[in-house]
Amino acid sequence: MQEPGERWKHPLLITLVTEASRSLACLDAERLEELALSCQALNRDLARADGETRAALAAESREATSDMAVLARVLEATRANLNVMNRLRELRGGRLEYGAQQAPEWPPMESGHGNN
Amino acid sequence: MGTINSALSIMSGALDADQEALNIISNNVANANTTGYTEEVPNWQENSSVTINGVSYGQGVTETGATSVRDKVLTERLDQQQQLASASGSRLTALDTLQALFTPASSTSASGDIGTDITSFYDSFSKLEAEPTSSSYRQAVLSAASTLAADISGAASSLASQKSSLDQEAAGVTSQVNALTTSIAQLNQQIMTTSPDSDAGTLEDQRQADITALSKLVGINQITTENNGLSITTTSGALLVSEGQSFQMTNGTESGETHFYVGTTDITSGLTTGGGELGGYLTARDTDITGALSSLDQLAYGISTSVNALNNTGIDADGNTGTAASPLYIFNEPTAVAGSAENMSVVMTDPNEIAAASSTEGTGGSSNATAMYDLAKSTSAELNGQTPSDYYSSFVSALGSTVSEVESENTAQTASVTQLQTQIDSLSGVNLNDEAASLTSLERSYQAASKVFTMLDSIMASALNLGEQTTVS
Repeated sequence: MQEPGERWKHPLLITLVTEASRSLACLDAERLEELALSCQALNRDLARADGETRAALAAESREATSDMAVLARVLEATRANLNVMNRLRELRGGRLEYGAQQAPEWPPMESGHGNN
Repeated sequence: MGTINSALSIMSGALDADQEALNIISNNVANANTTGYTEEVPNWQENSSVTINGVSYGQGVTETGATSVRDKVLTERLDQQQQLASASGSRLTALDTLQALFTPASSTSASGDIGTDITSFYDSFSKLEAEPTSSSYRQAVLSAASTLAADISGAASSLASQKSSLDQEAAGVTSQVNALTTSIAQLNQQIMTTSPDSDAGTLEDQRQADITALSKLVGINQITTENNGLSITTTSGALLVSEGQSFQMTNGTESGETHFYVGTTDITSGLTTGGGELGGYLTARDTDITGALSSLDQLAYGISTSVNALNNTGIDADGNTGTAASPLYIFNEPTAVAGSAENMSVVMTDPNEIAAASSTEGTGGSSNATAMYDLAKSTSAELNGQTPSDYYSSFVSALGSTVSEVESENTAQTASVTQLQTQIDSLSGVNLNDEAASLTSLERSYQAASKVFTMLDSIMASALNLGEQTTVS
């Protein structure tokens, strides 16, 4: 854990942002959950950071702005894909539910006078 | 006896069906690494039952063929995303080349450093203003003017070359599109004949592979027709394939640029906005490069006409002033904005013709040199109300923003294609459990990424808001 007043030692913000974009592109949920934990830790440390650390982070934040825009776009594309997948799932569910009606009809039962 | 025969028949039928199913599975394994192959699953059909003495007996199952596990909705979504990713990819490549032209440190820069050239040119009048009779300062003005003109003209020529090369690449796409649409039409014909009511297996795989390849080249819409047929139009509605018939795309030159046609209809503008590699090439050619060339023309026109106008009204070192017959122009006087950059050059050869003095002064005056130096700080309508330096800076900055914007777009679209491909791959052995797991993974990734984004956004906002601490709960 970083002590208050200690110099900034976290991985660069820009690394976190680009890694999040990459992981989301590959749907690497585990890595994304790890990154979420890193962000939580970063946020905790930020609350206790001194002026120098904050200034360093501010500089990093400015640098990472365009990469955040990329992450936002990847997130937007993922949401659209998720919508498509959810709709497909609903469609498949509907098809299964009504599948029995769509199956070919059974041949009519014959009378009891058939021969074998 | 009949019952025993029936039982044996059911068993042998079941064995036959199993054998067919095994063949299908073997085929799946053999094609596991074949690009575009879609896994097939056997179709089972229950045989009609027989009724003996009022009791129905089943007759087992028959294997009636195989159905490919494909999801047309998902595949079509992938094709659409692929079109966007290809368009932004080819546009980005062109924009990178374009940006390099205006990057002074770049090895491919043909523009030198126009920003510095502008400053140096106007600054040269500042020295002349202090010593208007100095021939070396007069020569320095012409030298700075020549550097500026050569760099602007060089940049314009490079833009024209890039445009021509993009034009050729775009034209080259036509034959690839035609080969694919012809193949799709032939496959349509076969599919409609052999499998009008069911999945056509490898034929549909081949058709899908062609559609995917076509999507990378141009923006298309797919319309499913009767009997498993397919029609394909460009996103602007030009028909490329109608079931078994394909319509060839042709190209021709209009005003020095390649245009594209289906029949006699010019579909160029629809292709530009439609997506695919061709869309990217055409957007770069018609929007990015044309826009850059237009900005350079505007800059060259603004500088040339304003400097020439002032010099023409002053008094040169020999006591002459400009006339209609023999104007005192430093730069080649443009007659129109278009073409000003490429034609920009220094026409003055004698440094004494620089009119440092105003018409009310003697030859030793410097008011006109001061006025020409002040042009660096004055805004003009030709330059959108900006100074020449600011105009050029805005142009370079806008170009950088466009590159960055398209880069973001391309990254997001490529990510989307990767995600969809992952989903399609995971669904190929479709069963509802696998499908649910795949969807869960997508949802989980999205939720975790949303959390990361929200937290990073807050952290960055908090860090930029120095002195104001906000924490994310």
